Amino acid sequence: MKKYLLKRVLTSIFTLLVILLVLFILMQLMPGSPFNDEKLTADQKAALYAKYGLDQPVIIQFFRYVANMLRGDFGVSYNISKNTPISQLIATRLPISIYIGFMAVLVGAVIGLLLGLLAAFKHDTIWDTIATIISVIGVSVPSYVFALALSYQFGFKLRWFPILFSQQQMFQSSVLPSISLSMFTMASIARFTRSEMLEVLGSDYMLLAESKGLSGKTLIFRHALRNALIPIITVLAPLIVDLMTGSLVVEKIFAIPGVGSLLVTAIQSNDYNVVIALSFIYSAMYIGIMLVVDILYGIIDPRIRLAKEGS
Amino acid sequence: MKKKVLAFLCAAVMAIGMTGCGGSQTTGGSGSSKSASGSAKSSSSDLNVMLETPVESLDPQQATDGTSFEVIADYTDGLYQMDADGKAVPALAEKTEVSDDGKTYTFTLKDAKWSNGDAVTANDFVFGWQRAVDPDVASEYSYMLSDIGQIKNAADIIAGKKDKKELGITAVDDKTIKVELNVPVSYFESLMYFPTFYPVNEKFYESVGDKFGTSPDTVLSNGAFVLDDYQPAATSFHLKKNDDYYDSSRVKLAGLNYQVIQDSQQALMNYQTGALDTTLVNGEQVDQVKDDPEFKAIGAGYLWYISPNMDKVKELANKNIRLAMTMALDREAITTDVLKDGSKPTYTAVPMDFATGPDGSDFSADQEKFKDVCRTDASAAADYWKKGLEELGESKLELSMVVDADDAPQKVAAVVQQQLQKALPGLTITLKVEPKKQRVQDMQDGNFQLGLTRWGPDYADPMTYLGMWVTDNSNNYGLWSNSDYDKIIAECTTGKLATDTQGRWDRLYDAEKIVMDDAVIFPLYTQCNAEMVSSKVTGIEYHPVALNRVYKDAVKSE
Amino acid sequence: MSDINAGIAANAGYIPTEADFQFKNKGKVLGNDENFAGQSYWREVVIRFFKKKSAVVGMIFIILIAVFAIAGPGMNKYTYEEQNLAQKNLAPRIPGLEKLGIFNGNESMNTTSGSKTVNSYKDKGFTKVYYWFGSDNFGRDIWTRTWSGARVSLIIAVAATVIDMLIGLTYGLISGYFGGKVDMVMQRILEVANGIPRLVIVTLLLLVLKPGMITIVFALMLTEWIGMSRIARAEMLKLKEQEYVLASKTLGASNMHIIFREILPNIIGPVITQVMFSIPTAIFTEAFLSFVGLGIPVPQCSLGSLISDGFNSFTTHPYQIVPPVIVMALLMLSFNLVADGLREALDPKLKEM
Repeated sequence: MKKYLLKRVLTSIFTLLVILLVLFILMQLMPGSPFNDEKLTADQKAALYAKYGLDQPVIIQFFRYVANMLRGDFGVSYNISKNTPISQLIATRLPISIYIGFMAVLVGAVIGLLLGLLAAFKHDTIWDTIATIISVIGVSVPSYVFALALSYQFGFKLRWFPILFSQQQMFQSSVLPSISLSMFTMASIARFTRSEMLEVLGSDYMLLAESKGLSGKTLIFRHALRNALIPIITVLAPLIVDLMTGSLVVEKIFAIPGVGSLLVTAIQSNDYNVVIALSFIYSAMYIGIMLVVDILYGIIDPRIRLAKEGS
Repeated sequence: MKKKVLAFLCAAVMAIGMTGCGGSQTTGGSGSSKSASGSAKSSSSDLNVMLETPVESLDPQQATDGTSFEVIADYTDGLYQMDADGKAVPALAEKTEVSDDGKTYTFTLKDAKWSNGDAVTANDFVFGWQRAVDPDVASEYSYMLSDIGQIKNAADIIAGKKDKKELGITAVDDKTIKVELNVPVSYFESLMYFPTFYPVNEKFYESVGDKFGTSPDTVLSNGAFVLDDYQPAATSFHLKKNDDYYDSSRVKLAGLNYQVIQDSQQALMNYQTGALDTTLVNGEQVDQVKDDPEFKAIGAGYLWYISPNMDKVKELANKNIRLAMTMALDREAITTDVLKDGSKPTYTAVPMDFATGPDGSDFSADQEKFKDVCRTDASAAADYWKKGLEELGESKLELSMVVDADDAPQKVAAVVQQQLQKALPGLTITLKVEPKKQRVQDMQDGNFQLGLTRWGPDYADPMTYLGMWVTDNSNNYGLWSNSDYDKIIAECTTGKLATDTQGRWDRLYDAEKIVMDDAVIFPLYTQCNAEMVSSKVTGIEYHPVALNRVYKDAVKSE
Repeated sequence: MSDINAGIAANAGYIPTEADFQFKNKGKVLGNDENFAGQSYWREVVIRFFKKKSAVVGMIFIILIAVFAIAGPGMNKYTYEEQNLAQKNLAPRIPGLEKLGIFNGNESMNTTSGSKTVNSYKDKGFTKVYYWFGSDNFGRDIWTRTWSGARVSLIIAVAATVIDMLIGLTYGLISGYFGGKVDMVMQRILEVANGIPRLVIVTLLLLVLKPGMITIVFALMLTEWIGMSRIARAEMLKLKEQEYVLASKTLGASNMHIIFREILPNIIGPVITQVMFSIPTAIFTEAFLSFVGLGIPVPQCSLGSLISDGFNSFTTHPYQIVPPVIVMALLMLSFNLVADGLREALDPKLKEM
């Protein structure tokens, strides 16, 4: 196991470097410069490129970046917040995205799981249909429409929650964004739980357990749910990363100072360092979670051995 | 190990949650939206202002966007400021003397203080201006000093050929600044309210270094307000009144509470709950508020126009085709039916309401000046079209138009597409939607046929537009060239007319006529912003150039 | 195993009675085994599918939507692209129904001074004009646009399914089955592909491709397969050590036979569920693509782009977002019902419960 972990961590670092390099190359291909292309002359642009070292060959820029990164320096922003160190920019914003994302995942996963279980155990009844309809709505209406609808009803009409996010009222003002973000997670978890549970409930070992006369709770949690967990975790893991790294539209709608809207603005305005830093963080989180998931597979179902050839 | 990570996460989330709750208690935590958007620091007579985009930079020499300029000017004064009509009036300048040849300005400073107690001195301006041209600082707006301000040696310093100490600004003594220009610049005083020309306290700047302008502790104020709550790219921040401001009796507001809201529907809802005193309204919502007395259309200065590529597309090199297209456009329908924000149909190459002439009237007040070549006239358009097609020997034409991937341009383009196709038989327009960066690059590379673009004025003079059409200007996307035109523009910038305001004004009309007669661009409209301003608030000054909003005279009644 | 041993230990000395040999859930109808002898597998599947009512209802809805997507745009005089700025933002009005007080062109408008009911048809004198689903802010007919948008979105739905099945499924199954080094390399490739922001890829695609359906499919192909491959890999990891796979291996079955013949049929449930989620994701991705200029060129539309257009008028003219959202939801619901029916029909071990 230790050997497997070490191997995974080492390859992960290599993967991150590859991602960085690919991003560096792609950034070179992006149209336009990070600066005001309309108003600057070629000379001025050349001066700006020289100032930020963008006139160097990609490979030199890349190594310089990696060297700086090891010292915790992610460079400065070129235009979103001029000359602000990226680390400072992200340090204030990432926790907010993580907070809202975490709430959304929590709400989505719990409700989704319950809905899924309900649908599976009451298979082919009105409950099943209701759960199906709820999850269908969850996937066919985009989160920004939910966001605005919730904000209109509960923020504007009823005034239960603030319309906009505010750091002074962190909890109240994150309720609406979290709910709108959680809808897709809820729907997917509900559907996957249902389909897995149906499969598990129909399997031989469940019949065996049932015929042994095991009670409902043990049956569901020890046997059924445990076996349905693998696909549920598989679906949930990337959603966790997606939600915690912020959502463009929901952040825009609720004026949340998170990292999701930052990434899109950065790409559109060629703020290379911001794009690279955010993609790096996203990938690192993703790779980390995938590693955790792979290990969890083995814990949930001891028959799964990932490091078969490796050990 | 896993457990540790989890514990850390939980702790982090809890810590965030707790600071949130703690803060809410100080505001009463009622959960209503009104207290939600007012930060803990806001008092009853704070003005709550909506912004569309966050601040990009609080460094006066690095900032380039309207939002940043507005906020910097809230807490910094330059030599001049804008009055309610947008004219340049002295701010820190006590006295201004101009030499007879118009090439030397001598400013004497008022007694004013920075918020750390230092006096504002001539050296602060010298330091600020030198930063603006310093190749190490690489300010994007350095051309304000070189090309536009024509300050001695500015161009050479930017190009790295001279040291920044040689810039044509000197501190004669603590209170006197002498500025030397290459040529007389008729609008030089009106550049002085532009943040690029604002002073920077050298000692303070050296003490904060790279962190300059990233937090309330790393900016200094000498203006009407003081920044007291700010983070880089924040979605909300706050300024309070500066009691040490030399003109503090003029400032009535206790503070300014800025909130960045990118979704206009949310902004309007927030306004309706009373949490905002002023907000921008987008086209669709104008229906909801158009009968409201608080609804206002405010000039934004931008001219939107279509640029035909006359160099690469032979059909567009045909003048009749171009005239047909500009006449086929129903600008009235675009502004009243699609934009609805008060934008004005424009039939001149210089937009309305930003440049005032020697006689006090707007340069483009007369929109019928060029009605022979630019008006809405479907039948004339069809005639020109027929003639043009005959000259080309074709019966059908397919053209593409590049458009920014933003909301307003895509809407306008959709209507333009329909209007042109309907009025001009045989014409097919395809829209090429691109991210703005790419659209600009394509147009600069000449890789386009028609382009929908816009230009905002940098200073209050028609030259900010007319300067674009000279041969080889990088914004002359159509690569149009006319030697008579070039001659007039040269005459008016550096030539004999530079000091003769009335004569220069008249010649600029001649230049504009050449552009319009040749249909070098198809002007569409002068952009306005639809805003709601609470009836409790008076005295916010709106300007299309440089500082979009000034709050020095704003009053909010309870 | 320990459970069973414990059970045996606890029951030592117990003498079975008649009741122990009864089915536990006596109340439930267990259903009689039907004799399918002599029938082909596929015939069996079809019979099972049609026995499930919800699946049939879903099927009918899909057919209906497809019919409207083909014929709907031709059912009135409007076209999807023609603008009539004089008749913009008109609320839904349907002849006949308007007499009942619904779909009569009334809409309530939230102004700053309170809400009021307006009827733009009457106010502007369009007494003979009918927009069944209303008109948008360019005066285009929403009925026509909804159905022609559904057409585009149905094609994208098919494309997304094919991408999922061909790329995602195969990638995940192979990665999971072979494990070890193969898995290591394939998963790292996936991580790199996942780490590049989609907007960067799209912007670069814009430089080389012309907007249109082929470009959309190409753009979807670059990222849409990742979700499916994850599911397929996880399922493969779960199943590959199962006894029947080992049995097959022992009997000398080839790898490909085991992957696609033995394991694939057993994971059809999660696979179909995942397809259900890639469809709306693909449809909304297309809307995003068309906003940045890579999707269906304007004035053509899709359900996704109609929803994002309607979003901009959500608080002013809420009726504009309703038709595309409802068609979308109906489409998804029926896909779900059909998929559910299919899953049960295809999965031989899933018994009536």
